[in-house]
Formats: sequence, C-alpha cells, structure tokens
Amino acid sequence: MKNTFTRYFTLYRSFLSHNLKNEMMYRANFAINVGMDIFFMLVNVFFFKILYGNIDTVGGWTFYQTLILVGSVGVIRELAYLTFRKGFLELGEYVRTGNFDVMLTSPVATSAHLAFRHVSLTDSFGEGLMGLVLVGYGFAHLDAATWISIPFYLLMLFNSLAIYYGFCLLVNGLVFWLVKSQELNTVVYYFMNTARYPREIYHGLGKGLFTFLIPSSLIATTPAAILVGRADSGLVLLSLGVAAGFLTLGLLFWNWSIHFYSSASS
Amino acid sequence: MKNSPRSPFVRGGLGEFKQIGNYIMSVIDVKNLNKTYKTHRKESGLKGSFKGLFWREAVYKEAVKSVSFSLEEGELVGFLGPNGAGKTTLLKMLSGILYPTSGEVSVLGYTPWERNRDYQRQFAIVMGQKNQLWWDLPPSESFLLNRDIYGVDHTIFQRAIDEMVSLLDLKDLLDIPVRQLSLGQRMKCELVASLLHQPRVLFLDEPTIGLDVISQEKIRSFIKEYNRLKKTTVLLTSHYMQDVEALCKRVLVINHGGIVYDGALSALSERYVDHKVIKIRFDSPQAPAPPDTLSGVVEWDTAHAVLKVPKKEVARTTHQLLSDFSIDDLSVEEVEIEEIIRHIFAEQPDGAGKRIEE
Repeated sequence: MKNTFTRYFTLYRSFLSHNLKNEMMYRANFAINVGMDIFFMLVNVFFFKILYGNIDTVGGWTFYQTLILVGSVGVIRELAYLTFRKGFLELGEYVRTGNFDVMLTSPVATSAHLAFRHVSLTDSFGEGLMGLVLVGYGFAHLDAATWISIPFYLLMLFNSLAIYYGFCLLVNGLVFWLVKSQELNTVVYYFMNTARYPREIYHGLGKGLFTFLIPSSLIATTPAAILVGRADSGLVLLSLGVAAGFLTLGLLFWNWSIHFYSSASS
Repeated sequence: MKNSPRSPFVRGGLGEFKQIGNYIMSVIDVKNLNKTYKTHRKESGLKGSFKGLFWREAVYKEAVKSVSFSLEEGELVGFLGPNGAGKTTLLKMLSGILYPTSGEVSVLGYTPWERNRDYQRQFAIVMGQKNQLWWDLPPSESFLLNRDIYGVDHTIFQRAIDEMVSLLDLKDLLDIPVRQLSLGQRMKCELVASLLHQPRVLFLDEPTIGLDVISQEKIRSFIKEYNRLKKTTVLLTSHYMQDVEALCKRVLVINHGGIVYDGALSALSERYVDHKVIKIRFDSPQAPAPPDTLSGVVEWDTAHAVLKVPKKEVARTTHQLLSDFSIDDLSVEEVEIEEIIRHIFAEQPDGAGKRIEE
C-alpha cells in the first residue's frame, strides 16, 4: 500500500515536471489565461458586493464569509487542474484519436494515468491565485478567526478534490459510448459553478439532489464553513462519506466502462 | 502476481519463466480468437441522420475469426494482410487494448486484457501512425517519463539509452523538440521510448509506414539487431515486402479476419510468386508496339516498358533487352506484397459482414 502510494507520488511529480516544461513553451497563453481568470473572479466579487449592499447575509453567510466560499472554489479549481481536471477535458480527444491506447498498455492505473497526463499549473492559475487572495482577505476580516482551523480547512479541500475527481470519473466514463466528451464536461463545469453558493440555500429535495447526486453543495461549503467556524461534525462526516462514496463508485464505474472502449483504427 | 491457470509456466525469480515438463517454450499462444465489432449503418443525408436518431440498423463485422497460432521465444514473425484484414485488431487484443468476443490468449502466461501490471512491464506495442512522444519537448524528456512510468532502474535506463542511441545513431537529436524531427527520426525515438523497459514481447504495427528508404532500412536493421541481441519475441505488421523479407523467416497471412497461411516466408513467395518485374526507360523513342519476340509485356509505349518475367527468365530477358534496345534505365523489382496477397486472397471465399436488424 505504501509502495503504491510512493510510486504514484513519484509518477505525479514526473508528469508535473514534464507538463511544466511543456507549458513554459507557451508563455503568451499563460499571461492571457491568468488575465481572464482574474477578470472573472473580480466579476464574481462585484456581484456579491452588490448583493450584500442590500442584504446582510445569504443563507446565514456574511459578505466576508462568502468571499472565503467563493475563493475556495477558485482554489479547488486550481488544485483540480494541478491534479486531474485537464486529462478529463481531453479524454474525448484521446478516445477519438486512439491515443487512449497508451493509457491501457502502460503499467499505471488508467484513472491515474489520465489524471496525470496533462496536469496544468497555468490553466487555472489566475483563478487559484485570486481565490487564495479572497480567502486570505475574508479570513483577515472575520470576527472569530482561529488559526487552528487552517489545517482542517486544507484537509477538507483535499476531501473536496476527491469528491470532484469521483464525480469526473462517473460522468466521463460515459465517453466510451459517446466518443465526444465536450457535453460531459459542460455538465462538470456547471457542477463546479453551483459550488460557489452556500449549502444553506438548498432545502428538501434540492438539498438531497445537490448532496448525493451532484455533490456540489459540499465541495466549497464544507472547507469554507470550517475556516469561518460554522461547520459542525455532521457536515464534516457527511462530506467525508460522500467523498468515499463518489470515489469508490467513480473508480468502479470507470474501470467497468473501459471495457467498451473501441480503439480508433489506424 | 497471478498467472493464468492455463499457463504451462510458473513465475520464477526476476521475472523469468521456468519451463515445466515437455512443453515447447511458447511465448504467445492464441486459441480460437474472435472479435466482432458492432457498428451502425446510417443512411446518407440529413434525412438519414434524423432517421438514425430513432432507428438504426446494427451491422456486425467479424474483424477476427477463429484465429489460432503460437510464437516461440525470440521469434520474429511478420503479419501480412491488406488494410482492414484484422491485423491491428489482433495486435490490440494481444496488448489488452481491446477485449475479444471469444477465445483465449496467453502471452508470457498472462491474459492480456486483464491488464496485469506485471504483463504490461514486459511487453510493448509501437504503432507507426500513433505518437506517444511529447510533441513540444525533446525526446530525452519523453524517455525520462517512460522510465518513471515503467519504473526502470536509473542505471539500467542509462545503459539501455546509450545502447539504442548508438544503434540508431540518435546522439545529436536527443535535445531537439520532437516537432522539429523528421518522420524517420521520430519513429526511431518512438522505438527507443517503447523499448526502455526491455520488453520480452514487442508488437510493431507498421513501424516503417511513410518513411524514406534509408530510414526504413535503418529501422529494419535495428529491429533485427535488437531481436538478435535481446531474444525479444517480435510480431510485426507491414505493407512493405522488404520489411518482412529482411526480418521474418515466418509469416502469418490474414484475410477477412482469418489466418490463411502460417509458415515460412520462402515457401510463400515460392508458392505464389514465380516472376519479377522489369522496368525500362528507353534512350530514344521506340515503336508504339512491342516486338513479337518479347514475352511478358505488361505496359509498352514509345518511352517506357514494364515486363512481368518468370524468375528463371530474368537474366535472359534482361540480356535480350539490353542488346536489342537503347536503354537509359533498367530495373528488376520484386512483385509487391499487395500483389502476392491479392493472389492468395483471390483463392479465398469472401466473408463480408453480416447484417442483423435491431
């Protein structure tokens, strides 16, 4: 078990260094990406600024708490791009061209190989950076901020990453029937977009839906709630459970759906 | 670390296989392998596409039909067949990329599509039309990544690189981005990247496709040398007769998904090809029709001629041509592989896809 972990960590490091070298070949792209990301993050902040000009709290969240929530979405997005997201975005292309073959013949789990194939620092760098700034700014303006919550915040960020990864596996497993993956990733994109709303806005059926079917209400809310000091153990346990469930189901479904891959003819 | 129960081998130390009893050391064992693809027929035009949304006709294509063969350790065998005969599908099943519809395969004692990591560390597949190198980075970077993917020891890695770089003459290319390399140089690098983990079984799908003659020759001699040095079992598909002639003693000919010939290459060309092709360019314009004394003329005009001549007659005919005509250029060529294959396939019943309505 420990060996497997070390092996995949080494692999990740190797893929990351190759991708960084690759990305440095295109510096202009990098600058444009960062600029765009920061712009859209600022649009988000202005939206909430206007919203909070009229009301004090949304679902019990104050303005500064919401900044942490929105910032966390940016941070999670960047972490996802750094670990797996880009591979899923390109999966349709790999399947269509038959380049997915290599992932099936090399001695690495396909779910990990696909994730690591194109880990990107720069694709969501502006969003990540801006997210971090928002989280820091919000945290500095909290009335009851405790430093001890930071490590738990980080831990739950990684838990959210696991949910996100499991969700990607479940949705993208369908690519072997559809061949194109663009529509699938639009689904994932909207999923992440709804993550910036606090979980408290959902009630009844909606709450269940956005917890167990599309777990976006947990992704940013749980870590942010910990940092602002409004999380209870129930929420944390629920998030851990959902992460374990989505990861397990995602891997099972993914490994089963690979059977239906019909490689492109050469 | 599981072995297939059908395997006659048990795994010993260091990835070696021991032989039990009197089994012949076969590395690849294929029994009654079948693969049927299901596709859908679509009527042409927008109307057809719209109709296809609600009702589709399923077409079953038998890409591989009850194929059986086995390869011994260190053999270098050529796979011949026209496009769409099922060669690539077969290699993909042996690599675990595709699942068969039915049948059994054992490679090194493993069932490929179980994708056992121990199996994956011991074989490689190189497809001439696919690229696994990183386009914007120098090949040396891709080699390093493959080292980590296959978990190759650093000293062994360096030794393997040095060895292959000198065999393929790649020293000056290792630090140039792949996109700036020629097709031939890229193919050589593909080979190196695939062989870093020193596979015991190697599948090559059209390794020389699209390459110039010199690059083809270089890759051919490399494969031959590598097979001789490492005793790697190689299964190769190619369109070029020269590839197969230079490399393989034994060939498997496949058509419509089934094996129609399994045996020595020499027997194949003796059995099916008894002539060569002579091509001539005349020095000065000739009569528009060939003289009656000349037999086997396929094409003839005032400037060129092509003759199909029995092998035994080649020397005599060439002599006759050179003495009777003023010739600028003359070449004697082997009959192309496609033609031999066409010849063989002319004897085979057709096996087109069956259609079943859904």
